[in-house]
Formats: sequence, structure tokens, C-alpha cells
Amino acid sequence: MDDRIVEFTHLLRRHGARVSLSEDIDAISALGILGIEDPSMFRDGLRATLIKRAADIRTFEELFDLFFLGLGAAVRESERDLMGQLGLTPQQYQELLEEIRRMLQRQPNLTPLARALLAGDLTQAERLIRQAIEREELEQAGGQIAVALYLRLAGRLALGTVEEELGSFREMALAGLDDPGHRQRLSRYLERRLQDLSRMVRDLLRQELKKRSIVASERERLEYLTQKSFAYYTEEDIQRMNEAVVRLAQRFKNLLTLRRRKARRGRFDLQETLRKNLQYGGVPFRIQLDRRKREKPQILILCDVSDSVLNASRFMLQFVYSVQDLYSKVRSFVFVSELGEVTRLFEDNDLQQAVELALKGEVVNVYSHSNFGRAFELFYREHFSSVNGKTTVMVIGDGRNNYNRPNDWVLKEIQRKAKRLIWLNPESRWKWGFGDSEMPRYAACCDVVEECGNLSQLHRVIERIAR
Amino acid sequence: MVFSSGEDVMKRLAEQQYLCSKNVATVVYLACAMRKPILVEGPAGVGKTELGKVLASALHLDLIRLQCYEGLDEAKALYEWEYAKQLLYTQILKDKIGEALAGSRTLQHAVERICSESDVFFSQKFLLPRPLLRAILSPAPTVLLIDEVDKSDTEFEAFLLEVLSDFQVSVPEIGTLKAIHSPFVILTSNNSREMSDALKRRCLHLYLDYPDPDRELEILKHKVPGVGDKLAADVVHLLHRLRKLELKKKPSISETLDWVKALTLLQIERLDHQLVEETLATLLKYEGDIRKAQKEMQEFLAERKAKLQAPAVASDKDFLH
Ligand SMILES: Nc1ncnc2c1ncn2[C@@H]1O[C@H](COP(=O)(O)OP(=O)(O)OP(=O)(O)O)[C@@H](O)[C@H]1O
Ligand SMILES: [Mg+2]
Repeated sequence: MDDRIVEFTHLLRRHGARVSLSEDIDAISALGILGIEDPSMFRDGLRATLIKRAADIRTFEELFDLFFLGLGAAVRESERDLMGQLGLTPQQYQELLEEIRRMLQRQPNLTPLARALLAGDLTQAERLIRQAIEREELEQAGGQIAVALYLRLAGRLALGTVEEELGSFREMALAGLDDPGHRQRLSRYLERRLQDLSRMVRDLLRQELKKRSIVASERERLEYLTQKSFAYYTEEDIQRMNEAVVRLAQRFKNLLTLRRRKARRGRFDLQETLRKNLQYGGVPFRIQLDRRKREKPQILILCDVSDSVLNASRFMLQFVYSVQDLYSKVRSFVFVSELGEVTRLFEDNDLQQAVELALKGEVVNVYSHSNFGRAFELFYREHFSSVNGKTTVMVIGDGRNNYNRPNDWVLKEIQRKAKRLIWLNPESRWKWGFGDSEMPRYAACCDVVEECGNLSQLHRVIERIAR
Repeated sequence: MVFSSGEDVMKRLAEQQYLCSKNVATVVYLACAMRKPILVEGPAGVGKTELGKVLASALHLDLIRLQCYEGLDEAKALYEWEYAKQLLYTQILKDKIGEALAGSRTLQHAVERICSESDVFFSQKFLLPRPLLRAILSPAPTVLLIDEVDKSDTEFEAFLLEVLSDFQVSVPEIGTLKAIHSPFVILTSNNSREMSDALKRRCLHLYLDYPDPDRELEILKHKVPGVGDKLAADVVHLLHRLRKLELKKKPSISETLDWVKALTLLQIERLDHQLVEETLATLLKYEGDIRKAQKEMQEFLAERKAKLQAPAVASDKDFLH
């Protein structure tokens, strides 16, 4: 059973659920406690130990059915059905099975699959077929896959031999029987087993294909998205990307929080305590821990929201606001040619809404031509005083200035006053400086300049900033 | 402090007026047997906090509750020094210093004496334990309910993680304090933010959803003893329809209970139009939600009327399916 669980967790992981090794182990010990007889308890036990996000519950339920129930329910159904067809009570049916099993004992050379089928042990038959299927390589999937696979599987399971064996067993069994009623029942039973064989192979094969095909496409899609340029995102991509950003933000947060915690832990500081308490006549009324209370940094973000860089700005805004409790203050501005502050939007709306409002031209006219120089000058005139030594200033834009005045002196001023000035450019580096791009000039004024045009670059940038 | 099986959990929680599904019972039993915390998530008002409370009473254990909020820090959750007491103590020490020093022959000796006294200064006597430390120091096992953990900030979560992993804390001035009995921990979250993977790894996960109609009916009858059968069935049916709508905030069990209590006090036996219109505000909080619900409500009442006029005598049960 343990192997099946481990395999199942692999399957969950491939479908995007985050299951760690320790959770595997928990699942196995949970089953040790609950047992595996009660199906609903079995399911609940696995779910509680393996799945920790409400969003993953559906994936779990789907895969669970596929993986553990297998053909179980269908098989039981068909057994009841068969019993009815033969006109037997459960007890009589058991007697029939006993009779067949006695005959089987005299047939030592049958293949395991034929034996299981004849004895009515469909669970065992299913297991044998499943094992064979799982050993097949399905990687080079193509249109003809099902047929080709079936043929190969037939070879591996020696289906031809099994069918032959079922046939000759039938002849042998019927040969010694006189009672026509009994003959008919036995013959029906054995025919049914032949049908069961092909049905099981077909269903199990279909299940397996389904299992693996979801896997491949899901993995490919994510991989593809990581490399795809923000500029070509579809609505659907944006949806998926939102999830990725949320996850990224959470990881970033945990990383930074742990680090800050370690830096902050303090011990009782005798000297400081004595000094502080001189005013109370040396009575230590105020305890001083040598806890360096580092002030949280501030962040100020300037986003170009013209069409060409819209998505990069969207994700950066989303990211920054997802981690805003790491900062003592977050202010954000958007610009094309005018400049507008959007900080308030994020206070009044939930994150997604605020991002959309900020990008949608509520604040600045998004249909004008980009003019970085003007936007920078406006920033200098109205908001420069809000930059101080604790501020990290982040500009997101392609630096395409439509041949307007670049006003890079503003950036120089900012860089001098701020803690750090970072520029993220969604455009490929080799295009910088061509045409109306003022990027080389702007880059010279910044502390950090990074290309940030797709998800994997965004990852890298964020890691750099965290350091 | 153990349950013997899932059914045992169900039975003993029912004795505390808490009716849960088999799924909930299984997870609780498992957590108890594996000695792991449970992280309970789900919409507001489905009984997450209540689960923690009834577990304590079902197990006859003390309940220690830590309510989380933004800005909650170690001092509020773990311990603080009792400055006032410490101050008092130093005053006494000052007065007694002559006595303490009486008989010491050398300066060296005197200093040693004073030092040995001042060790008391940072001892457990002056420690003011907050919920987490209380759970650790408790001589008997406890149920520790960490409520709305998603409201706390990530710094606090990182700290909580350390405490939950081995139930020991180090107080720099005293040393390490370790729990005699690990408490049974229930964390609840409304999912206003996602908790870290590290925290989740340590917990079993329980997703509490709105109960199915049969169970909700049972809960109503348990919690509002005088409630009429017809009224209860009406209410449950209506609520399940409302929860299917796209509402900003769906009506929860607690709001249902409040509503039914009010209706029962007014001795109302069936829902009718005017009544529903007048009391809708107790169920739903947002203007937009109320507007959406009104339409649904009218359909519900119309359908019911049609059913009542039909010749067959429909049992209450039929309304639920
Ligand atoms: N299964 C149940 N059996 C009996 N009563 C229940 C059950 N579930 C919920 N209740 C009732 O619903 C009320 C609300 O539950 P509770 O306060 O625990 O909700 P919650 O999930 O913690 O909500 P929030 O997310 O708002 O904190 C409780 O007072 C309790 O009486
Ligand atoms: Mg609560």
C-alpha cells in the first residue's frame, strides 16, 4: 500500500499540489491509524495529511477517484448484474465460484491473469493489467497512441494465450456436465469473463491515458508560460500568472521574514539597562534588550502603463502590494506622459481591483504618447520630497521616450537621495538604445538595471532585490 | 485526553451540541492520534472557532485561546515581564540589604551574596505568561485554540512555527522552558492570506464548509429547542438556495441560528413574504446581496405555495431534496 501512496503523491505533485516528503510520511502513518477498510475514512485521512490548500481539494478529489477507485465500483456493479442474469442467489453464486475454483486447482499451468479471471478475482485481474500498463512507455504520445499501445500491451499480457486458456477451460468444464441448466449457467459465466477481460483492458488503458495526458499538458503549459514574453499574454495567461505571482510573493515574504527574525533576536543587555535606569536611581524599571530594531524599508514604485509594458507593470504592482507588509510604506505612481499617484486605490480596493483600476486609465490618460522625461519632471516637482534615505525607488518601463527631452537629471537626483534606485525594463536588452530608447542614458543613473520581460526573469530580479 | 475513533468524536461532540460530519470527525480523531495541530479553514461562521471550544469541553480539558490580529507580537502571545512586581521586589531588596549583608566578612563575600539574591529578579516569579506560555507551562494537557491565525503578520507566523515545532521557548534570562504535555492545537483561518508551507506541513488540514441540509436542520433543532419543524425546514431550504447565489458574504450558520431564534421568539411557524422582507437584514449584510436575495426569496415562496396547494401531503423532508 505504501508504494501506492507514494505514487499517488507523485501524481498530486505533477498536478501542481505542493506535497512534501514529510507529508507522504504523515499520510502513511495516518492510514496506519485509520486502516484502509473504510473508503471514506481512507479518503479523508489522505486529504487531511496531503492537501493543505483549499484550491487543491478539487485536484485531489479527481485524482483520488482516478487512482484508487480504479474500476472498483464498475466491477462490483457488473458482478451483481451477472448474478441476476444467471438467476442465482448470492449463496448459489458463491457455490458456482467454489466449483470453478476446485476445477482450477487441477490446472496448474494457467497464466496468472486467466486464473484470476476464471476464479472471479477481478481485483487481482485488474492489478495485473494495471501493472502491465504502467510499465509501458507512453512518452512518445501521438494520435495513434491508443491503438499502438493496445497492441503492445496485448503482447505483454499475452492476451492471445489468456483467451485461448479461457476457451479450453470452458470446453473442459462443460464436458463432464449433464444438467442443461447448470451447463448454461457455467457457459454464460465463462463467456462473461472473456468480455470482462477486454472491457477491463480498455477501461484501464483509457484511464491511464487520461491520467498521463493531463500531466503532460499541465507541465508544458507552466514551462511555456515562464518563458513567454509578458507582451504576448492572453487573458488566460494573466489568470495563471496571477496565481504564480501570489505564490512568488508568499515565498519571498517567508524568506525575508525569517532572515529579519534571525537578525533581530536579542538578549538582555546589562549595560544599556543600567544606563537607561539611572533616572530611577538604578532600579531596573526598564529592561533593555540588545534587540536591533531595524526599521522596515520604504518602497516607491513608478510604473509605465503604456500598452507595450502594461503586463510587466501589472505583475510588479501586484507583487509589491502582495508583500507590502514587509515595508513600512509603499507608494505607487503610474505614468504615460502625465503622472498620477495610485497609492489610494490600493487602500480602498482589493488588490486585483486596484491593479486593474491603476492600469485602466482612471488616473492618467493611457492613450497619450509615452514621455518619460515629462513624467520624471512632474515627479521631481511634486513628490521628490517624499524620497529619503530609506526609500527604494523602482521604475518599470521600456525607456522609449518618443524623442522627447529625457530629463535624466531627475534620476540622478533620486539616486543620490534614495537608498537604492532600480530600473526594470520588460524590453529585451539588445533593443535598448535603438530608436527612441533612452535606456543607456537612464541606466547610467541607476543602482540596479534588469531586464524583466517574462516570468523567469521576474523570478531572478526578485531574488536579486531580496538580497 | 483521547478519542477512540471517528465515531467517538462525533458522539462526544454531539454531546456538546456540536454536530459534525464524518469527515470532520475523522480528521479530529487523526490529529489527536498523531498529535498534530489542525489547521481549520473555511468561510466565516461555519463553526471553526466553535470546534476548538467544544473539543476542549468534550475532552474535559482547559481551553487556552490566542486571538490573532494584525500587530500581535511575542510579548502579547508569549510572556511579558511584570515590571511592577520587579520594582516592588527591588524596593524590598533595598530595605533588606543590610540584613542580607550582615555577617559577611569581606567585600567579595558581600558581592556574592547580593548576586545570588538578584538571580531571583529574572525568574519565573516575575514572568507574566500569555496564552502560548500558559499552554506550555500548564501542568495538565490543554486545548490551544489559535484563532484567525491569518490575521497575524508573517513575522508572527514564523515565530509561531518555532513554538509549534517543539513546544519549547527560550527566555534569554531564564533558559529554556519546555511543555510537560504538548497541547492539542487548533488553528483557524478565514484565508485572508495564505499561510506558509512550513506551517501547513506541520498541520493536518480541515476544510469546513457549509453543512448539508440534513445536518443544518439537525443543528437548528439542537441549538434552538423550541423551533417548529416546518419553520426549520423552510429556513434550511431557503438558505441553501441563497448560498448558491454569488453573494459578497453568504449567510452562515451563526446568522441562520440568530434568525431562527428571532423567528421562534416571535412564535412564527412558517416563512411568509412580509416576514422575510422585514428580517432579511439579519441574514445579509450588503445592500447588493439583499437585492439579489429578494428575487430568489420570491421564487422560493412561490414554489412552496404551489407545492402546498398540490393535493399530496409533502413531508418536511421533501423540501430538502
Ligand atoms: N456543527 C455545528 N454544530 C452546532 N453549532 C454550530 C456548528 N457549526 C457552527 N455552529 C454555530 O455557529 C456559530 C458560529 O460558529 P463560529 O463562531 O465557530 O464560526 P467561525 O467559523 O469561527 O466563524 P468566523 O470565521 O467568523 O470566526 C457558533 O456559535 C455555533 O453555535
Ligand atoms: Mg471564528
